[in-house]
Amino acid sequence: MQKNLQTEVSQLLEEAGQFAQQGEREKAYRSSLKATSIAPDEPLAWYWRSQTAPSTEEQLMCLSRAYSLDPNYSDTKKELRTAVQTLLRQEPFLAYVYETEEFYQVRSGRDLLINIPKNRTFEIPYLKKSPGHARPAFHWLTLSLLALFLGGVGAVVFSPIAAFHALRLQASAPSRGDRIRLLIVFILAVVIWLAAIPISWLLLIRFYPS
Amino acid sequence: MLVRALYLSAIWFAISLFATLIMGSRLRRSDSTLSILWLTAVILIGNFIAVFTFGRLLEIFGLSLLAFGFGLYWIIRLNDWNAPGQVTWTMTLITTGLFVIYTFMLTAFTPLNPLSFIFALLFFFLEAITLLLALAHMHESLDVVCRVQWMRLVDKLEPVPGYLPMVSLQVPAYNEPIEVVQKTLNSLSQLNYPNYEVLVVDNNTPLQSTWRPLEEICRQLGPNFHCLHLDQWPGYKSGALNFAVTQTDPNAEIISIIDADYEVDPNFLRELVPAFADPQVAFVQTPQDYSDSTGDIFSESTYRGYKYFFEVSMPSRNERNAIIFAGTMGLIRKSVLEEIGGWDEWCITEDAEASLRILKKGYQSLYINRSFGSGMMPINFEGLKKQRFRWCFGGIQILKKHWEALMPWAHLVDPENQLTLAQRYYYLVGGLGWFSDVFNLLFAFFLVMGALFNLFSSPIKVRPLTDTVLIIPAVFLVLHILRFIWVLRNRLRVSIGMAIATMYNFFSLGWAVTLACIQGLIQREGVFLRTPKSTTASKAWRAIQVTQWETAIGLICALTGFLAFVMDPNWRTFSLGALLYWQGSLYLAAPIYSLLSLSREAALGAPVRVVEQGKPMMEQLAARWVLACSMVLIGAFSLIRFLPSPSGLPAYARFLPIDLSPEQVIGGEPEATTPAGMTATPTIPSTATGIATVKVESANCRAKPRGGAERITILYKNQAVEIVGRNDDVGNPWWYIKVPNSDDHCWLWGMTTTLNGTLEQIPIIR
Repeated sequence: MQKNLQTEVSQLLEEAGQFAQQGEREKAYRSSLKATSIAPDEPLAWYWRSQTAPSTEEQLMCLSRAYSLDPNYSDTKKELRTAVQTLLRQEPFLAYVYETEEFYQVRSGRDLLINIPKNRTFEIPYLKKSPGHARPAFHWLTLSLLALFLGGVGAVVFSPIAAFHALRLQASAPSRGDRIRLLIVFILAVVIWLAAIPISWLLLIRFYPS
Repeated sequence: MLVRALYLSAIWFAISLFATLIMGSRLRRSDSTLSILWLTAVILIGNFIAVFTFGRLLEIFGLSLLAFGFGLYWIIRLNDWNAPGQVTWTMTLITTGLFVIYTFMLTAFTPLNPLSFIFALLFFFLEAITLLLALAHMHESLDVVCRVQWMRLVDKLEPVPGYLPMVSLQVPAYNEPIEVVQKTLNSLSQLNYPNYEVLVVDNNTPLQSTWRPLEEICRQLGPNFHCLHLDQWPGYKSGALNFAVTQTDPNAEIISIIDADYEVDPNFLRELVPAFADPQVAFVQTPQDYSDSTGDIFSESTYRGYKYFFEVSMPSRNERNAIIFAGTMGLIRKSVLEEIGGWDEWCITEDAEASLRILKKGYQSLYINRSFGSGMMPINFEGLKKQRFRWCFGGIQILKKHWEALMPWAHLVDPENQLTLAQRYYYLVGGLGWFSDVFNLLFAFFLVMGALFNLFSSPIKVRPLTDTVLIIPAVFLVLHILRFIWVLRNRLRVSIGMAIATMYNFFSLGWAVTLACIQGLIQREGVFLRTPKSTTASKAWRAIQVTQWETAIGLICALTGFLAFVMDPNWRTFSLGALLYWQGSLYLAAPIYSLLSLSREAALGAPVRVVEQGKPMMEQLAARWVLACSMVLIGAFSLIRFLPSPSGLPAYARFLPIDLSPEQVIGGEPEATTPAGMTATPTIPSTATGIATVKVESANCRAKPRGGAERITILYKNQAVEIVGRNDDVGNPWWYIKVPNSDDHCWLWGMTTTLNGTLEQIPIIR
């Protein structure tokens, strides 16, 4: 069944190509239109329909659809950009709808939904980054540093906990970076602990004023 | 010994800095022989003063050797600086290091109750971090004025024949007055470069009547000008700029961001684009300049304040390939921007944040210290305050996001992090530098508390106000102020008066920066500052209202300092008062500048009503939180008196550094030798309730149990005296003693003695 569908779509697209070559735009459009209706997930069908679409709006819609189905097809990207530029020359209004890692979906001033490629490396937004593997160890390390500033006694307790977490998490560290990170937390925890000993001693002796 | 070493190093520091102020910018060569000679000269001059005042030959010799060795190290390391710079840097490091050790010893070994100790420790850490930041400022100043060899200094780029890549100039606009943007676009249409496009990106401007005319202007200016209005767009300016990248011409290789209020020089692109012929260069930055100064002190000092960054910080950073991409008047390679994932939409200083990510990838940056355009400064102090708040908030966001990448071990954790140590240092210090104003406020708080406790003779004590603790910070303060004025004068070519005005302009924004730092730490998303609303038509009153919190803090500091001195006039309260007055003046500069900005406002017309983007941060609310925290701190301070203090002199107090009085430092007090006719251990009646034995080299015995009181006599090490009475503060004991071989009595500070006898049996004298 699937194979038959593919054959049919291929035939329709071939037909559309031939009509387009002969200058019979309307027939070419009808063939590609049929192709998109029977195979709405076929990017090539949408691309061909965009080539013969009677209006800029429809052309944009088809290119946008073709792009969202196959973001790697460079011709689609290029023509989509040109079409958007043409549209923006007429009406420079675009409203945000949503975005993915690959594209923005916008609504034009003429109420068209358009997908616009981002063409850039995706970087996870800072606020959406998941906590790192070493987080519990860092958490205790921060606490012990704060405690060091406040008399050191807390640091004597917290820094071994940080060191313990650093050692515990070493075994399951997913990357070399995490292993080094945990090793550094361990070293820092030891340093803080060593600094906390004399400071907390200085604090504790003050509880015995005599 | 520690205190003497500290004073000696402070003298070296002062001599070297004064010499640098005089000839640091004039000596334009680096010569190791000259540097060694200058180092020796500074050490010898300092030693000469010390020998005839407070010094001991052996100690001076030992410390001089150490200082000389340390100086040699820095002469080798900083071989592209001149001799005054190298020596001043050495002496600054030595003095700062010794002072940190001294304050730690003072904190650790002063008999305090546990809560006092915790506060003293906090104060110590605060002081140490502030001193480290001051060191960073000193390094930057010396680096730009005393540097004689610039490795990456470029005045003008050579044109590369045939290299004319396409540039996309992006003009982000938000609620901008049309006449302002029109000027910018007109200047861009005059660019002397054949291959460029201009993309005006208006984001979220609510009224069509504001943004629609942009479309028409672009149409008039030709096919290279495109206009885009983005509605309900997330990510503020950076969100819009990220989208703009998708709409740039596919042939564009370089992107430039131009603020909507900038008029650009026609040669902007022609002169800067050749830098990109080197594929390693990812971005180029030029100074941001301003053309709308109205000639008043506010405008001029604000203008100089902006210039400071581009004349001092950026050249120093550029030497280490550590500059910041400051957005407008900069060019960035499009492929690199795409490679790093575009502008960060979370950070409100997205340009600076992007530069860090670019440098992390190992690319090169270039700073060209030539202005290619000018924009508009804030119309009044309120605008300046809001702008500084935003910059600081963004700086803290960068620090929050990238702190790990700036650590010394970052390249081990992430092998892709190609930041050099110097780049990490500059970005880290750049972020932490904002906290100076937070520390400044905390210092002001501690000083006010100290003065109030002193005023009401409260037994609450955090750290004893020793002579050294009053003298050395004052020396630091004066020298660093002089250094700041000197660098402003040298790099910005301004008069002393304008340098001082610029310095105060910086400090007057301390409160806004403090709020931004706190908000930056606790708030996840971008905010803007909303100053107190005014209900009056009077412009002057509105100007004061905008700075009501700064005014209040300034007045509290100045008034407390004044009262502290008037109620108990002596040199200690004078020093305390002077410090408080200085702190107060920094905050009181805010209302003064706010009032001064009225003339600028009048000259330029009514301020443009710009609706800020982001979440508002109410200054009133934030200030109330600060007030509440202060109250909690005051409450915690008052708990100190309910905790038991040491009943006698604890054993650890013997490690307390011996203080030197100002008389000893300036040589007005005789050497610590036992005078003829005075036995080291006089006969003491067996009925004595207590005997105090002096454990320091020499100790002053005073008319009243107070550091600044009149000195009756001097006692010497191992001298034992009869105690007749004591004060009622066991945490800070003073013995009322019988002066040996005399019928007189005087007060001797308990910390300088060891006690033989039972404290309880010694009568309290009130």
